[in-house]
This record gives sequence, structure tokens and C-alpha cells, in this order.
Amino acid sequence: MIESRDRVEQFQHEIAEMKLRDPATSKDRLWLGAGIVLMIVGIVLAVIAYPMSHTTSNPLQQNDAITLGLGGIAAAIVGGALFLRFSIAAFLRFWLARVIYEQKAQTDRLLEAADSVSKAPIT
Amino acid sequence: MTPESTPTSGGDNLLELRGIRAAYDGIDVLYGVDLIVPRGSVVALLGPNGAGKTTTLRVASGLHQPSHGDVIVAGRRVNGARPEELARLGFCLVPEGRGIFPNLSLRENLRMMTYSGQSQHDVERITFERFPRLRDRRSQVAGTLSGGEQQMLAMARGLATEPALLLLDELSMGLAPIIVEELYGIVAQIAREGVSILVVEQFARTVLGVADYAAIMVHGRIAKLGRPDELEAELSTAYLGA
Repeated sequence: MIESRDRVEQFQHEIAEMKLRDPATSKDRLWLGAGIVLMIVGIVLAVIAYPMSHTTSNPLQQNDAITLGLGGIAAAIVGGALFLRFSIAAFLRFWLARVIYEQKAQTDRLLEAADSVSKAPIT
Repeated sequence: MTPESTPTSGGDNLLELRGIRAAYDGIDVLYGVDLIVPRGSVVALLGPNGAGKTTTLRVASGLHQPSHGDVIVAGRRVNGARPEELARLGFCLVPEGRGIFPNLSLRENLRMMTYSGQSQHDVERITFERFPRLRDRRSQVAGTLSGGEQQMLAMARGLATEPALLLLDELSMGLAPIIVEELYGIVAQIAREGVSILVVEQFARTVLGVADYAAIMVHGRIAKLGRPDELEAELSTAYLGA
């Protein structure tokens, strides 16, 4: 075991060097909520735009409905992007770490097997 | 050297909690906790069930964000630090209920500790030097080990990272007194090597023998802090709520 005095000094040094970000959990949650709201609002606006344009022959009103519908679709896309960024990204990071770990374990097993084969006596 | 009656803020403390308030789903459970773990000392955090001891450990180790107050590790405010990063640097929590993987073998459990960069060989060497009994159980599924051996495995996984600061939560839970005595013997040995330890324990008298300082926690507050011999008389009052 490392000399405890050195270990504590190393710990103090590493804590001093540690990069800290502000507690962003609440911000992450806020953005995630905003993403979900935008997705829902966007879809609702797009659905509302259809009967708006369908029930009138006035081209000005139809243009308004098209604008509303396109705005809704844009909002849903932005909301979806925010949702992906702040929820699924966390899962993907975990998944990637797991894949890297598995690959490393597999490589270790292959190296171990290759090593044992190379050391086996030739008959 | 006789330790002071109460540890003081600043200086060479490895862990300081200042005015910590914490809540679960908006319900406060800690109401301004102040606690100090000086370098190289063992501090026992005692108190009845539901006093907030485990939450205090969770806040200290970064697993639970406080709503107010500062968590200071080695002189630096670390609120918001990721718990895995603190663990990698040597701030280790051995959780209540052991937190081992019951379906994995003992060796596989130890392998999970190689994330910190140490080799499997080093992790096993540290483990079996400290807990020789586990050497014979290497291939055994962890869930089939005895309670004491599972607790040893949980401690071993923590010690494998060569921690500078160790947090232990309810070591004695569900274990026979003789095993608890053995485990606290190991804690005393770890403390002698200079590791600072904060130990949470519901069964107070088992830990007072190894502690330099003790704090009694009641209803989310530190009710009393001092040397173990000074607190003996206060324990009954705290636990019985008189």
C-alpha cells in the first residue's frame, strides 16, 4: 500500500486539480422538460393547422394555417433534439462504456488464450 | 497526542460539511448539518434509525445534491462533483446493504474495481492481504457468501482503490457481534495506516472503541459532537428521545 502521508497529499492535489462543473442537474431537467413540451406543442399545432386550412377557402387563412403547421413541425423537431440530447445521450454514454469494457475483456481473453497456446509444449 | 475535544473548521480536514440541508422530493431530511473529519482520524456518526445518517453520507460522497450548504473535500468545495470521479480519486463509500453483485463470483466482483486503473492482480493482492479468508472463496458466487464475508468483500472493493477518505455505512447491519468485532478490528487497522474514516453506525457502542470523535445525529441535525468518552452519557438520551 502507498505510504499514507503521500497518498493523502496525492488525494489533496488531485482534488485541487479536479475540474468541477456547476451543479447542472436542475438545468438538464429543465431542458429535458422543455424538449418534451416543445414536441407535444409542435404536434398539437400541426394537427390544429389541418382543420384550420381545410375549413376555409380564404387563401390568407390557409397561409396562416400552413405557417402554423410548419412552425409546429419545427418546434417538434427542436423538442426532439433537446430530448435526445438530455435523456437518450446519457443512456448511450453508458452503453458505449459497456461496449468498450466488453471489447477490452474479449481482447484480454484472446491474449490469454494466445499466450497459453504459445507456451504449450510442442508434441 | 490527545485529540481536541471537537475538531475545528479549516486546517487539515479531509472532509467538512457546512450547513448541509437536503431533501427527498421536497421533504427536508437534513436541517443544517455541520460535520468535520480531520485528516487521519475516525469519526463515528451515530443516531437512531431515520436520523439522516445515510443521507449525510450520500451528500458527502456526491450521490445526493444538497439544497443548501457546502461539501468541502481536502479544502475544496466540491458541490456538484460526480460521485464516480470522487471515488476514482480516493473518496470511497461502502454503502449500507453492502452493494455487491450477488450473481457474480468474488473475483468478478473484484474485477469491477479495475475501472480505477488498477490491474486485477493488484486488486486481488490488496484484498487477500487484508482479508485472507476471502482467498479461499475466490470462485464462489458472492450471493452465497456469509454476511460477514459479503461485508468484507464490500470493504475490499472500497479499499482496492487505496482510498484517502473512507465512508462506511452500517457495517454491523445483520451481522453477528463476533463478526462485527472482527470488522471493526480491520477498520482500526485501516485507520492506523492514516486513512480518514467517517463511519455511520446505528449500534453505537461497537464503533466508539475505534473512533477519535463521535457525533450524535437526531432528526436531521448534529445534536452533539465530541470525543467518544464524552458522549457515552448522551447516547441513551439521543436514542430514547428523552
